[in-house]
Amino acid sequence: MGPSIYKNKKRIWVFLAPAFAFMVVYLYYPFIQNILNSFMHIKYMGTAGGEWNSPWYKNYLTLLSDPKMRIALKNTGITIAATIIGQVGIALVLSLLVSNIERGSGFFRTVFFFPIVVSATALGLLFNLVFLYDKGMVNQFLQFAGVLNREANQLIDWKSKYPMFTMLTPVIWQYVGFYFVILLTGLAGIPEDLYEAATIDGAGRWQRVRYISLPLLRGSISTCVILAVTGALKVFDLPWTMFVNGMSNTWLTGTYMYSKVYSDVDYASAIAVVIVVIGVILSAAVNRIFGKTEDFQ
Amino acid sequence: MRKNHVITLAGIMAVSAVLAAPAFAEGVTINVTTTYAGEDSNAQNFKDSVAAWEEESGNKVEDSSATSDESFKSRIITDFEAGSEPDVLFFFNGVDSNQFVEQGKVVSIDEIREVYPEYASNMKDEMLGASPVDGVNYSVPVNGYWEGLFVNKDVLNAAGVEVPTIDTTWEDFLKDCEAIKEAGYTPIAASLQEIPHYWFEYAIYNFQSPQTHNTVPESVDDEYGQAWVNGLNDIKALYEAGYFPENTLTATDAETFQLFTTDKAAFLIDGSWKIGGITEAVDDIDHFAVVNVPGKGDRKTTDEIGGLSMGYYITRKAWEDEEKRDAAVSFVSFMTSDEVVSKFSGVSATALKDGASPDVSEFNALQLSALDYTASITGICPAVQDNLSAAAREPIFADMASIVKGDVDAADAVAAVLEANAE
Repeated sequence: MGPSIYKNKKRIWVFLAPAFAFMVVYLYYPFIQNILNSFMHIKYMGTAGGEWNSPWYKNYLTLLSDPKMRIALKNTGITIAATIIGQVGIALVLSLLVSNIERGSGFFRTVFFFPIVVSATALGLLFNLVFLYDKGMVNQFLQFAGVLNREANQLIDWKSKYPMFTMLTPVIWQYVGFYFVILLTGLAGIPEDLYEAATIDGAGRWQRVRYISLPLLRGSISTCVILAVTGALKVFDLPWTMFVNGMSNTWLTGTYMYSKVYSDVDYASAIAVVIVVIGVILSAAVNRIFGKTEDFQ
Repeated sequence: MRKNHVITLAGIMAVSAVLAAPAFAEGVTINVTTTYAGEDSNAQNFKDSVAAWEEESGNKVEDSSATSDESFKSRIITDFEAGSEPDVLFFFNGVDSNQFVEQGKVVSIDEIREVYPEYASNMKDEMLGASPVDGVNYSVPVNGYWEGLFVNKDVLNAAGVEVPTIDTTWEDFLKDCEAIKEAGYTPIAASLQEIPHYWFEYAIYNFQSPQTHNTVPESVDDEYGQAWVNGLNDIKALYEAGYFPENTLTATDAETFQLFTTDKAAFLIDGSWKIGGITEAVDDIDHFAVVNVPGKGDRKTTDEIGGLSMGYYITRKAWEDEEKRDAAVSFVSFMTSDEVVSKFSGVSATALKDGASPDVSEFNALQLSALDYTASITGICPAVQDNLSAAAREPIFADMASIVKGDVDAADAVAAVLEANAE
């Protein structure tokens, strides 16, 4: 054996082939078929497209004038901004703080990461109770604090009055820990020598963060932002659990696509194509903005 | 050596277990999906009947029943498309079943009778509920349904309002709602975002009659289309008057139902299946009753919504599985026998040739009031929504919030429904 394993490339292809075949069958073939479906008339979910739409790009024309799609795109834009600022931003602050403490970082790593292991549906149900109109946790707290009139049973319908805030709070909260762990790992990869040298040169804590941590974390931040942007484009389960059928105009591209799957299959396919296209464009844009993808060279 | 012995012994035990397994296996397991779940009056009856059939036949039931709503309907359709449909299905016999009927995924009663001549022979064939696709009977019904106005008498007393009678008009009802609202209660418990269809049915029924209600309009401008528009505008008026819960556009049905059972709301339009749910949810059932929904225009207060809209289907997949075929037929025959149907029917109609014979002596106050209610009915008509596919219903049912808030014009919503229905 020994180094000869690297000379015979055929063996590598044998091991790569199953994974490649799996991706072709279960990802790329359905994706291409989905593009075709978006130009066809499909009567029922799961049935083959019978004929081409007339005109063949009919669904894409409808998308342009669909008010719900406009709402979905606007809300998805808000969600992307909220996830970049809320998820990645908060995760960055937390990771910088935790990286500066000598003891207990493992504890915080576990505590912040924990929401990730809870299913989004369970979190949705949990936050339904938190924001429940009658006897919900937030309304009870506000009554207790005197913000709402307890005697008159004054209540806030959070899902109606502040729908985006109510929906995005748990979405952001759930994934902060995920990005926190990525950024903390990135920070751990920065050589301690650099901080020591900077300290000797008289750099303060903020200057070490500004001129060492942040520039060398560029790759990790870029990865987090790409994941946050693409994640926001397809986020579905938690918003759907809390705001079924886009109630209070909370449509997102993911939830709107799902709502159409059973009633207008080919239109849902067109929405899926749009989601992928936007995802690719935004990922490329993020890559361009952050330039280098390596943490440091 | 010792390690080898352990491995050999483990191997022998594993092989023995596999070989011995068929000797212990008894009967057949069939997958069954129904709507007898959650707050359905017959949820417990269903469990009891399944247990009785399992004991009698030696077969097993894998039950995946769920509450009937749009999600349930979507799940069933998806299961059929994905090839994971149940062996026996208790489902709607209207347009909702068109897809799997068209695709030949359920077996007609005539085909079953070629092999099992006695199948559903205790039922009146003309009442089985023929498919809209081809007029052929595929399902065997158990009990019918009606939709009525459930009332919380404690809330009415507190607001100084009488329980509505067959003489109560729509105008009287509106005055009652105003009095209830002024007394600090919610007049109507309803989640317009999740379950708007009971109010849709009665609101448009108010502009029609039992003879015309079950007709899908051809255009928004025809007589039926205008009835739909007027009905939707009446729901909008009720919303604007503040008669629905403050969070009706965001609340779930469970939340608004809780308002009704915890003495915070006075009225609830729901189906006969809700009797069990109310009975379980309240301490004193004597304080609840079901009455006629006050009428308007051509619709008399005693004209109601009801019919036999669901039945047991045997899927093609089970029929062609020789092991499961007998079990599926036996299960449906058991669940639609005179005895079981009488147990399920309670205060609703059946398709039994000999009629049902429920034990009235065990009825509670709400069930007895339901008997009075059904006795008062002078005209009955099925829900017109059963003539619409899920896609066609969407512009009204999924968008009721936009309609009542005025973001979408009622006429535009009806036009969108008719357009989707025509596709």
